[in-house]
Amino acid sequence: MFLLLPFDSLVVNLLGISITVLFTLLLVFIIVPAIFGVSFGIRKVYMKTLLKIFQWATLRIERGAKEKNHPLYKPYVNGIIAKEPTSLEEEIKEIRRSGSSKALDTPEFELSDIFYFCRKGIETIMDDEVTKRFSAEELESWNLLSRTNYNFQYISLRLTVLWGLGVLIRYCFLLPLRIALAFTGISLLVTGTTVVGYLPNGRCKEFLSKHVHLMCYRICVRALTAIITYHDRENRPRNGGICVANHTSPIDVIILASDGYYAMVGQIHGGLMGVIQRAMVKACPHVWFERSEVKDRHLVARRLTEHVQDKSKLPILIFPEGTCINNTSVMMFKKGSFEIGATVYPVAIKYDPQFGDAFWNSSKYGMVTYLLRMMTSWAIVCSVWYLPPMTRQPEEDAVQFANRVKSAIARQGGLVDLLWDGGLKREKVKDTFKEEQQKLYSKMIVGNHEDRSRS
Amino acid sequence: LGVSRGLPCAQGPLSPPSSPPTVTSEQIEHLHRRFKQLSRDQLTIRKENFDSIPDLEFNPIRGKIVHAFFDKRNLRQESDGLADEINFEDFLTIMSYFRPIEMNMDEEQLDRFRKEKLKFLFHMYDSDHDGKITLQEYRNVVEELLSGNPHLEKESVRSIADGAMMEAASICVGQMGPDQVYEGITFEDFLKMWQGIDIETKMHVRFLNMETIAHCY
Repeated sequence: MFLLLPFDSLVVNLLGISITVLFTLLLVFIIVPAIFGVSFGIRKVYMKTLLKIFQWATLRIERGAKEKNHPLYKPYVNGIIAKEPTSLEEEIKEIRRSGSSKALDTPEFELSDIFYFCRKGIETIMDDEVTKRFSAEELESWNLLSRTNYNFQYISLRLTVLWGLGVLIRYCFLLPLRIALAFTGISLLVTGTTVVGYLPNGRCKEFLSKHVHLMCYRICVRALTAIITYHDRENRPRNGGICVANHTSPIDVIILASDGYYAMVGQIHGGLMGVIQRAMVKACPHVWFERSEVKDRHLVARRLTEHVQDKSKLPILIFPEGTCINNTSVMMFKKGSFEIGATVYPVAIKYDPQFGDAFWNSSKYGMVTYLLRMMTSWAIVCSVWYLPPMTRQPEEDAVQFANRVKSAIARQGGLVDLLWDGGLKREKVKDTFKEEQQKLYSKMIVGNHEDRSRS
Repeated sequence: LGVSRGLPCAQGPLSPPSSPPTVTSEQIEHLHRRFKQLSRDQLTIRKENFDSIPDLEFNPIRGKIVHAFFDKRNLRQESDGLADEINFEDFLTIMSYFRPIEMNMDEEQLDRFRKEKLKFLFHMYDSDHDGKITLQEYRNVVEELLSGNPHLEKESVRSIADGAMMEAASICVGQMGPDQVYEGITFEDFLKMWQGIDIETKMHVRFLNMETIAHCY
């Protein structure tokens, strides 16, 4: 037992020294720049190195797969079925023409009409647009995370060693570092905003509050190793406006709030989130709703309008899709925020899935699992575009305005603009959509039928 | 994958054992993935699982299409009636009705192919499984197809269906006497009506050629 003592103290010493070194590094390279809003550029270098390694890994897999004749999993972004581009009318005419001996100008119902709908139905069962959007986007190069690669089998020793090294680095080095940073960031936010809250209202309080918020969000950004490129920063939202963005994950809030000072909108949660929310609202006016108030649309609209009309208050940050989408498309915007009548500042956020998939599939992962996945990815790389402000024109209603904003965001971010409702992840289609196609078909048959019976 | 390659769609009554499989294993893999998505990783699909396809809501005959998946006559089972749930093999069996025509098919194969597809459609119309499409069943189909139009009165729909049914009767039976009752369209009559219509080219779903996509990357 006495022989072990010097060894023990050696280990303890080493541990102590490494922890001190770690914390000094943390302070100097990460927290201090976050406070002042500058960057050493370490993350960009990190990103470039990683890219080179990924390219090598992907080449190795492809070479290995070819040697062993494994079928490689190729993504099918365009769908698996060749869909005919002809319309309902053309197709039905064609079917009838190929068999009917009657004159073509007296169309009425025929047995063959059922073909078109039958085929369309089977096609959508085999492959449909909407359900595709809700699973994580599939990658064509491997980023050394086994969770994104279905092909990961034993291809070569070097690749497995590299992957193992990656796991070690991510879980034993990066994860504790990130958790420490996140902890620091959140506790600074809570204490900072509470302290600022005690100051009397005035310019000093506003100044301090802004910087406390920004500083803590920047630390959180570094906690996720998020490498963000901001474009067109001159279009950043101003007081009295509403900032709308497409939604991929809860991280969107951190990304946007680390570059601008916003008022958040949301429901009050319990637990840690609730503590953070209550602290934040002491320093500057955010708009938090009780759970019961959320259902009351008029109340929500009224409070938002009040906030927006007060020019001294901050721009509101809202995600109109209402749920997380997998960042390949933009779904229907809920019209509530567009009815208020304020200037809308659209923002497009596009994540690069190569380094870590930021999409939160809330039916598959809970919040804690999700955060753990985020913190054990290599990095979160994304681009943010600030689009020029838009206002509602007199001749358009809220829905058209919402669609216009949505198209602008989709175009800028390179995402697909879909008409579908993000709520379809959980609910069914509204009945109004069902009727469109059927109306068209019945117009074709009945309109002509009525003409004939009249003549 | 756990799926045997000897599946009904590849070596069923539609193609004799000597010809090569007409669905590639890659396509089967895609369909399997789709099956897993629809069944939420279970081994079987029930009717409710089809509710998760939003695009299908567009379709006026959605009910009949889903019904067709569970119809035991389509699943080539001996008994009659409806199955409660289907597994992947049954799913592929139904999909095989929509295979495109192969270039190397001979007359007999083509004829059988066509009959199979028409039988699938016949079962869609014949909802009470008695082997005949009666006037009421015909009316049902027309009503469903035209159900999207709220301004359409039931009477108009009926008259359209009745007119079409009379048309069908005249093709099948010729001129009827005033006291003759037309019971319904049997499968043979159904086949007669489709003579000359090239349905094989309309009733199929083609897979995209995956190799061409791979080159784009």
